[in-house]
Amino acid sequence: MNIAVVGCGKIADSHVEEIRKISSARLVAVCDLEAIIAEQLAVRYEIPCWYPDLDRMLAEQNVDVLHIATPPHSHLGITQKAVSAGCHVFLEKPLAINATDARLLIDCVQEAGKKMTINYWPNFETPALELKRFVVDGDLGDPVHVESFIGYDLGGRFGQALLADQNHWVRNLPGKLFHNIIDHAISKVIPFLKEEKLSVLARAYRRQSSPDDIVDYLPDELRVMIIAGSTSAYVTFCSHARPVSHFLRVYGTKNTVHVDFALRSMLVEQRQTVPTALGRLLPPFKYARNALGQATRNVGEFASSRYHYFAGMNRLLSSFYDSILNDTLIPIPYAEILRVSEVMDEIFAQIYPVI
Amino acid sequence: MVKILVTGAGGFLGAALIERLLELGYTDIRCNLRRKSIIPKLETLSKQFPQASLEYCIGNLKSKVEARRAAHDVQIIFHLAAGLKGDPADLFLDSVVASRNLLEAIADMKPMRVVLVSSFGVYGVANLGRGTIVNEATPLEAHPEWRDGYAHSKLRQEQLFREHQQRNGFELVVLRPGVIYGPGGGHFSSRVGVMLGGSLLHLGGNNLLPLSYVGNCADAIVTAGMHGQSAGQVYNVHDDDLPTSRRYLRAYKKSVRNIRSISLPYFALRLLSKVLERYNRYSKGQLPPVFTPYKVASLWAGNKFDNSKLHSIGWRQLVPTAEGLRLSFAAFRAELDRTELNKDKASMKFPR
Repeated sequence: MNIAVVGCGKIADSHVEEIRKISSARLVAVCDLEAIIAEQLAVRYEIPCWYPDLDRMLAEQNVDVLHIATPPHSHLGITQKAVSAGCHVFLEKPLAINATDARLLIDCVQEAGKKMTINYWPNFETPALELKRFVVDGDLGDPVHVESFIGYDLGGRFGQALLADQNHWVRNLPGKLFHNIIDHAISKVIPFLKEEKLSVLARAYRRQSSPDDIVDYLPDELRVMIIAGSTSAYVTFCSHARPVSHFLRVYGTKNTVHVDFALRSMLVEQRQTVPTALGRLLPPFKYARNALGQATRNVGEFASSRYHYFAGMNRLLSSFYDSILNDTLIPIPYAEILRVSEVMDEIFAQIYPVI
Repeated sequence: MVKILVTGAGGFLGAALIERLLELGYTDIRCNLRRKSIIPKLETLSKQFPQASLEYCIGNLKSKVEARRAAHDVQIIFHLAAGLKGDPADLFLDSVVASRNLLEAIADMKPMRVVLVSSFGVYGVANLGRGTIVNEATPLEAHPEWRDGYAHSKLRQEQLFREHQQRNGFELVVLRPGVIYGPGGGHFSSRVGVMLGGSLLHLGGNNLLPLSYVGNCADAIVTAGMHGQSAGQVYNVHDDDLPTSRRYLRAYKKSVRNIRSISLPYFALRLLSKVLERYNRYSKGQLPPVFTPYKVASLWAGNKFDNSKLHSIGWRQLVPTAEGLRLSFAAFRAELDRTELNKDKASMKFPR
């Protein structure tokens, strides 16, 4: 398949690197409104063509899948052009500026008979897939409560770019800093919330004031509680706790599972079965065995060169490309993607009310 | 009196350049800054020169509108704003796209002189022998993308300035500083080594460091930028009495802190870089190619340096290297003392 990327900012590097690892894919061109930015990406990765004009790229290149890594306000328009030109689309998160646009985007893809998915790559890492199997096998029981925690380093490569630039596009999103990140956390809890009606309560604040008004403009801590019938969820976005964590904790009626995306591990907390003090002695040994198993699995993946930072993205992409080639199910159901957008809308309406 | 624009005025070199311009009697200066919070630093400076008029223009040159506002009605531009670290896309936005916006903003303005502060990183030294003298005639990097994002973006920035200079006919002076150091700057250039945890992996060995004390560098920029015969010329900027990497590290340990260091000889570094590059290819990037033979040869092979062209237009080193090192190390030591003091204050708030 011929692949092209539109939007050549820093996340495009990871798209290019993962596309190049997939044997069925051939990266033919990249495009950015800033020709210089398209050019630097093409030169660094020896990509044959680069364009400052999307229409021209779509007209000149026979693109099967277009990766859209531009800011979200442009996603709907670019998707409409891409599917009209016969492309399937792989979108960087967040999907759109709001749920209305997200729905329009998915509708236009479906009406054109094409496929799309979104880059929820951590959900395709090995421990996340283990969790899915654990749930499907019935080992979790019914979900009672889910905690999704995502840490953020404002001093990191993405945080610094945002803080240093008062015109950065993230500042103009309805949910500002949170809008660009929080769907990674929400997309993990949505599959556990089966009830149609959700009750969402969100609070945001800035933890420390800064002498710099550009920095001070952005709240950097977010707490969300969601109740869906008999299941509840907490979603946390945290910029100040260290280490920068990224985990999902699912409390089931049978067992509780802790998936750590930063450490790439899944630990199962089982019920205590032996009575008395002896019962409290044994679980840490079980955890140690569980952790050792995970560490051994990680070493195996490293030894076989399957332990890249974006290994989950590679799996997601492979699965998406396969769904196109073999006309099978897409890796993420559209209903889940839409529900994430709806919850985000509700959160941002509460923390940034329109006056 | 001409109106001067200094981009990147709030940076390490920018503030020193403004100080030097004021010392030399240039009084009408527009300081382009990204953030308002930098103004107090320059205000302190301007109070020493009551006749001067510093104008603060807050804006990011990545915006065409802000670039036009910054360049409006100036006759000389000292262009220092550039990305120094980050991903390649960010470096290109901060250095190349920002420069393009500035160049488009001055397309119709004449007469105009532009002084571009580039970098030693644009020279293609990887295939030159060890000990080769680097001067203005040294070939430019043929594959900056093999080296690093910074060199790649700085070379592209220079190309852009030449393209626009030919199109629009302004006077262009290019300066290529080596390693700018001084109080407020970094403690170790990558030419000395890289930090690993709390230790320094010393890679520079007995290589000469092309150091340029920040005040001397600022003076060189003004000297070349204002010289009547410098239009169309390129000048390398570094001091005269250059120390070796080993001498710098030894002096640092004596004057600042006794940092733990591990020296890696050049042949071992070359070997390590070959292994890392091969593993990076084999594993399809599972570990980043921190060292490649090309990068290693570019940064640590060891060159000699020549600043005679800069001397030929009358530049003289204001602060001797020994004094520059002494002032820098004293400032680095004071920084560390302040950090320790803050830690002590924090621990007093939370007694054990």
